[in-house]
Amino acid sequence: MSEAAPVKTTRRGRLRAVHVAPALAVVAAAALPLLFTSRYSTNLLILGAAWSIATLGLVVVLGYAGQISLAQAAFFGIGAYAVALGTTRGEMNWWLALAAGLAAAAAAGAALGMTTLKLGGHYLAMVTICFQIIYTLVATNWVAVTGGPDGISNIRRPSFVVPLVSAQRYAWFALAALLAVAGAVWWLRDTALGRAMLAVRENELAAQALGVNTQRVKVVAFTLSAAIGALGGAVYASGYLYISPDSFNFDHAVSFLAMALVGGSESVLGSILGAGLLTFLPEWLRELKKMYLVIYGCAIILVIVFMPEGLWGYLRLLGRPFARQAPPPAARRALRVGGRGTAGEEILGVEGLVKHFGGIAAVDGVDFVVRRGEVHALIGPNGSGKTTCINLLSGLYVPTAGRIRFLGRDVAGQRPSRIAGAGMARSFQNLRLFRELTVWKNVLVGAQRGGAGEAETRDRAAAAMAFAGLADRAHERCRNLPYGHQKLVELARAIAGEPELLLLDEPGAGLNQTEKQDLVELLRRLNGMGLTIVLVEHDMSLISRAATVATVLNFGRKIAEGTAEEVLRHPAVVEAYLGNREVALGV
Amino acid sequence: MFEVRDVHVAYGAVTALRGVSLEVRQGEIVCLLGANGAGKSTTLRTASGLLHPLRGEILLGGRPIHRLSPEAIARIGIAHVPEGRRIFPGLTALENLVLGASNRRGVRHGELEADLERMFGIFPDLERLKHALGWTLSGGQQQMLAIARGLMARPEMLLMDEPSLGLAPILVQQVFAVIKEINARLHTTVLLVEQNASMALAISHRGYVMETGRIVLAGTAPELLRDPQVREAYLGGRRAG
Repeated sequence: MSEAAPVKTTRRGRLRAVHVAPALAVVAAAALPLLFTSRYSTNLLILGAAWSIATLGLVVVLGYAGQISLAQAAFFGIGAYAVALGTTRGEMNWWLALAAGLAAAAAAGAALGMTTLKLGGHYLAMVTICFQIIYTLVATNWVAVTGGPDGISNIRRPSFVVPLVSAQRYAWFALAALLAVAGAVWWLRDTALGRAMLAVRENELAAQALGVNTQRVKVVAFTLSAAIGALGGAVYASGYLYISPDSFNFDHAVSFLAMALVGGSESVLGSILGAGLLTFLPEWLRELKKMYLVIYGCAIILVIVFMPEGLWGYLRLLGRPFARQAPPPAARRALRVGGRGTAGEEILGVEGLVKHFGGIAAVDGVDFVVRRGEVHALIGPNGSGKTTCINLLSGLYVPTAGRIRFLGRDVAGQRPSRIAGAGMARSFQNLRLFRELTVWKNVLVGAQRGGAGEAETRDRAAAAMAFAGLADRAHERCRNLPYGHQKLVELARAIAGEPELLLLDEPGAGLNQTEKQDLVELLRRLNGMGLTIVLVEHDMSLISRAATVATVLNFGRKIAEGTAEEVLRHPAVVEAYLGNREVALGV
Repeated sequence: MFEVRDVHVAYGAVTALRGVSLEVRQGEIVCLLGANGAGKSTTLRTASGLLHPLRGEILLGGRPIHRLSPEAIARIGIAHVPEGRRIFPGLTALENLVLGASNRRGVRHGELEADLERMFGIFPDLERLKHALGWTLSGGQQQMLAIARGLMARPEMLLMDEPSLGLAPILVQQVFAVIKEINARLHTTVLLVEQNASMALAISHRGYVMETGRIVLAGTAPELLRDPQVREAYLGGRRAG
């Protein structure tokens, strides 16, 4: 009983924090329109809310999914024009016009998101800029529809329970919309989709290997971001009652980006802080006349240089000494790896596998079978094609020829996320963690394999953390951990999806003898639970202790196969690979 | 003589070295053992000028070098072979190797050719792959390239961080044989960080053991090989028990 008591108080404390923040936000939203009563300041409040909503769209696409977008002003404009045209010329209900605007923006966002399938980084930035500029040109020159540079006036406001005709009432509505979006974006972060976005941002390859359909996630992120931007635009249009293309040009796209970066693109509160600051700052600085743009620009540069995680990141750093450490997740059940099947049946069959890179055959006709319950070592000299094999099996490479049967189905050439979804997990030779995320988040991404529900995901993740002995470090950021622990996190993340087959690429590299011994124990325990393991490793004493079967490759071909014991005595293996057998085995 | 005296190093708020002192005499191979996170790589990174000590000093032949830039340290003949294959991925293997000699001034073409031949003699794979871009090499080949590039500097002193990482057993043996040969033939001084403690001690003259940013044990290689604590922690002695 004495143990349960402190846990209970901590939980109550956390609940309180979770409830207090939204309550404060609601009170602030209710109070602000009462404090800012002049027509000018009420308008500014509405503008701030509209811009904050658009910036929250960037939190999704840039902050979470890590995809640069310089087209947010275009989506903002699509929403604004939908409401403007719908309520003036179309005589439509405001909400119907909004729905049309959201749909149009979402469609455009999805289309733009499709380009991320081929492009990334600065190429993607260029594409979004082009989209933004085309949008501005259309809005300016398609006079018959948009009214051209003169814009559209007499835009109506919506009714929500009561008609929101007065500026004060509309300000409340705008802030309520902001709160709703902020809540949704904040909630998104802790869902399977939100975590998948963070994983894509941190390491796309690793995300794929854990079963995240990264292409879909990126398109969804762009779509959501565009729809949120359009909502901001709609709030803006009915706030000002008049719009023109100037409000949706490239300058505004850049300023949305600046708002997100200044506030902290990953944080909901930070982005609202950034958007609010950059809405009000020009007004405060207006008295400085011509100097104001200089100061405004310098302030943004200073924040971005000295606060890489934005204002919010900085404030959080200041508040860290007072932050309460969340308790480590408690495992409610044991890990269930290995699936159901009879030991000894084929789990993975490789036939005639070939992979050419240009003219070089990295893998040149390899056959082997991995049976359920084995720890199957894949060994061979450097450059013999072991890592290429692992990349082919897990779908990161498409084979030039050959078949890969996993659980009876041919998976050669399938997307890595599908293969992972079917129950194959892997680790990487050079660590590919989601470095900025906590250990717990890393493991959660692994645990959501195959569309496990949230409760199941958390159970799996907690079980994997307990298994790897990482529960105490759950809330530390991965990049702060020593190398040995990072390797362990990668292992925990791979097994958290409760796979049937685990591929490990040099799990022992960089570990000392004691740590290697712990690794062997861990692998034995996993194998004992029914997990089949394929192991690429150069440490022969580790192989001889952990592996049951071994396949030896050289120059992309199989040169020997058998039990680990047999293979390590094979003359060809000794000559090409082991050199001095006693030294290699450490006996 | 290379001396590290009471060096303290921190990464931001995290202290990595808490007063490390060690010395490497001309022509010696000295290895640095210890668990992950003990501060071995940090010691090497400080010695090569990538990090600067908060306190303490590093001397080469009596001259303080701990405030010099990494380039200046490379120019006086200390070459660092970093952990984890930090080769130039967009350049060919040959270009990587030639760049390794960029600390040397007025090198004649023939001399450079001879050095390249010597590297290809040690690592035949690199000759076969000399026109391949760095990133297309396998992990182990990249490791060989990184070592060869370090040797191309004809350094007085070589700082090696885990040269055996990711290499096949036969190559591990070759790499250690090469280190020993370079030391014997060229009198290159070597400070070696290595997880493979038994192999490292087999070619080293002396060794130090680090724990949580401090040196906890020093001795000749045979002494350390016999030391029960070292056997327990770094030579897999626990397996027997």
